[in-house]
Amino acid sequence: MINENEKLARIKLNAFTYLRTDWAERMIEVFGSASEILKSDAKTLAARGGMSEKTAAELLREAHALDAEKEVELTRAAGGDILFLGEENYPKKLGEIKDPPFVLYYRGTLAAAGPKVAMVGTRLITPYGRRCAEKFASEITRCGAVVVSGLARGVDSVCHKAAVELGKPTWAVVGTGIGRCYPAENKNLAGAIIENGGAIISELPFSKPPHAFHFPRRNRIISALAGVVVIIEGKERSGALITARLAAEQGKDVMAVPGNIDSLQSGGTNKLIRDGAAALLDTKDIIDFIPYEERFGLDVSWLDKEDKKEFDNLTQQEKQFLDFIKDGEVTADDIVEGLKMPVQEAAAALFEMEIKGVLACIDGKYSKNKF
Amino acid sequence: MLSTVLSAGVRGVDGFAIEVEADIAPGMPNMAVVGLADTEIKEAKERVISAVRNSGLEFPLKRITVNLSPADIKKSGTGLDLPIAVSILAASGQLNAAALDGLKNFVFVGELGLDGSLRPCAGVLPMLAVLGGRTAVVPPANAGEAALARVNAVAPKNLAELAGFLNGEINLEKIPPADFEAGTQEYFYDFSEVKSQPVAKRALEIAAAGGHNILMIGLPGTGKSMLAKRFPSILPPLTHDEALEITKIYSVSNLLGGERFLSARPFRDPHHTISDIALIGGGASPKPGEVSLSHNGILFLDEFAEFGRNVLEVLREPMETGVVSIARARERVSYPARFTLIAAMNPCPCGNHGHPHKQCTCTPVMINRYRSKISGPLLDRIDLTVNLNPVEFKDWEKKAEGETSAQIRERVIKARGAQAVRFKNSPTRANAFMSSREIKDFCPLPPGGGEVLEAAMRKLGLSARSLDKILKTARTIADLEGAENISKMHIMEVLQYRPLDRKGVADV
Repeated sequence: MINENEKLARIKLNAFTYLRTDWAERMIEVFGSASEILKSDAKTLAARGGMSEKTAAELLREAHALDAEKEVELTRAAGGDILFLGEENYPKKLGEIKDPPFVLYYRGTLAAAGPKVAMVGTRLITPYGRRCAEKFASEITRCGAVVVSGLARGVDSVCHKAAVELGKPTWAVVGTGIGRCYPAENKNLAGAIIENGGAIISELPFSKPPHAFHFPRRNRIISALAGVVVIIEGKERSGALITARLAAEQGKDVMAVPGNIDSLQSGGTNKLIRDGAAALLDTKDIIDFIPYEERFGLDVSWLDKEDKKEFDNLTQQEKQFLDFIKDGEVTADDIVEGLKMPVQEAAAALFEMEIKGVLACIDGKYSKNKF
Repeated sequence: MLSTVLSAGVRGVDGFAIEVEADIAPGMPNMAVVGLADTEIKEAKERVISAVRNSGLEFPLKRITVNLSPADIKKSGTGLDLPIAVSILAASGQLNAAALDGLKNFVFVGELGLDGSLRPCAGVLPMLAVLGGRTAVVPPANAGEAALARVNAVAPKNLAELAGFLNGEINLEKIPPADFEAGTQEYFYDFSEVKSQPVAKRALEIAAAGGHNILMIGLPGTGKSMLAKRFPSILPPLTHDEALEITKIYSVSNLLGGERFLSARPFRDPHHTISDIALIGGGASPKPGEVSLSHNGILFLDEFAEFGRNVLEVLREPMETGVVSIARARERVSYPARFTLIAAMNPCPCGNHGHPHKQCTCTPVMINRYRSKISGPLLDRIDLTVNLNPVEFKDWEKKAEGETSAQIRERVIKARGAQAVRFKNSPTRANAFMSSREIKDFCPLPPGGGEVLEAAMRKLGLSARSLDKILKTARTIADLEGAENISKMHIMEVLQYRPLDRKGVADV
């Protein structure tokens, strides 16, 4: 059991930008407690902690600058809590990795049952990536799994949204403090995640602003929380690929959605497949990779029923549209000229297909919404 | 001796009568003009003195007082030169008895040159409204306005000729009333020259048919300005009343070049650095702004998002009411401003967002900020939004085979005809300006239309406020088709022309 004072001290210690959990744990052994670490001066800390005096001073400065009581208060007010490594309620899987978060903040609830599946990918999503993300995220959520992602633009947001639209929980591990929202346009999405029994998770102090190096580090939490990691889309050098590497290091199964070899955003996923990741072709593939002990309660029966009715009741004209659009993005102008039909007819049909959910319209460009 | 001569001034776009009194009394040679006269009228006396002398007439070397009545209204403009000169001629006994008797049957307006010639002045057309059966004396250059107003008027070339006419020595031809000729307009640009862009063309046709405001969003070089420049060619020709209204505004602004009245719909395209006052009208002595100068015509705002935010916001009032009211400490005037707004903007600050081959260098935040410059209330007043996409070489290469402006205009005129019948007992002239009551009466929801709108509100996040404009626009589409009532198809087409998503790019 960690007492309240010690908890506050650990929250303060966690404020140090370059804190490594293994170092912090050893220091707690050496000093006896985090409170003792913070009571020492920079010289002592440097000598016993094996660090330069400058770094030690910086650590103490950052730690003392944070008001730990306020952190607790803010987190509770936002409907969350702060967890500590080694405590009973700290996520078990997270504690098992090499570099677990020393302190974990969350909003919402971590009670969501079901296996956790990490789904990540590029921020610069293509129509193909959007279709894949939406399909896999909603199908796996309907099966009873919990999607874990990073609340970034693009793939992450699509995955979270798919779960939220089904009214199911999803976890978002963010690269800021949980009191912030980055990117700002996802504020509503974050609210919806919490409303639906999900959680916003972070290891950073409550109001920490986003910083480039936060993101690769939070990726290790995403993969650690999940049993299997799915990469939807990503360039050869991308955050998604970092997540894949970290997942492999943590001993997780990595799955990637194959794409065209000339698609920049599929470059990373294709490379992963070449290097041994599993190719993700169907939602059942994900189920197969979920660790056996976690599969309890999954409902996969409906997957076999082939939920493809939507495309059966299309009119002749709508099928013609889909044939024309293929896998690309097409404007209303293209359709009018390509199919040689009056604008009014095309416009009405496009709208109907959009409402049905067959097509997605983004900035005036239409693309297939489903397979 | 005392004399009284009638003239007119203008406030806003309405004329008002002015009596010019001149009194000549013995004393030191002096001339005073009283009655809240502006600088240009104070200067009138110098012009009048020279004009009278150089016309072979005599300028009395006595104490002259000129009063402009009503004395409590500020008067401006150079049109009072002529009545002042005539009043002095009358008071100094240089007109015969018959002329003095007949003087009250004339209203004089005009600027004088030093040689006594009559020069054009601003605001003649609205001034002619105060004639009340009298004969107007106007400068030859303003004769077109008198012809359009269909009033008794003469246009002497100079002061000497006028004096001869008043004395009955010479005869002046009355200006024949002109019938406003419409439909003879030659357009320099034609819609058939625009390649591809079928959706935008269709949207412009709807805009022309119902007087709807339209926003075009597209990459640079996709033909936004090209389309806008061709828009006048598909508008219905002006009616006599409309021509009168805009000629009045141009007359007040002194923008009527030459002898003509306005026979084409105005097309105004102010630069985006324009100030709010220049756009809406105003100034210490209020003048019509661009919105009024585009009355019954088109206001084209290119680079819409580059206009100052305060400039764009002032557009809201005239777009709603069709009138601009300008209040200043001294006076309050209102100018008509019922225009069709054509706005054009890029999809993002760098202009490459969504280009098939070029890379956009803007961040999502920059793009959102750019798009957010067009405020929600302003967007609510724009009925149609279209995206223009780059034309591929294969389309460009094709010979222009689009419809000509004349073909489109024919349909537009037909649709406007249907509206003229619909609004015969109402001040509304086009579907875009329907009141909520009229929307209720003329735009009943078709079977199945309710579901479409409901789905649109849910899926596309449309506000209840935008439903009215959807119905108005659907009404115009039905008119273009010659349909009695709005159908579900019409509503679905309108939804194609909805605005860009605010969070467009950043949207997941």
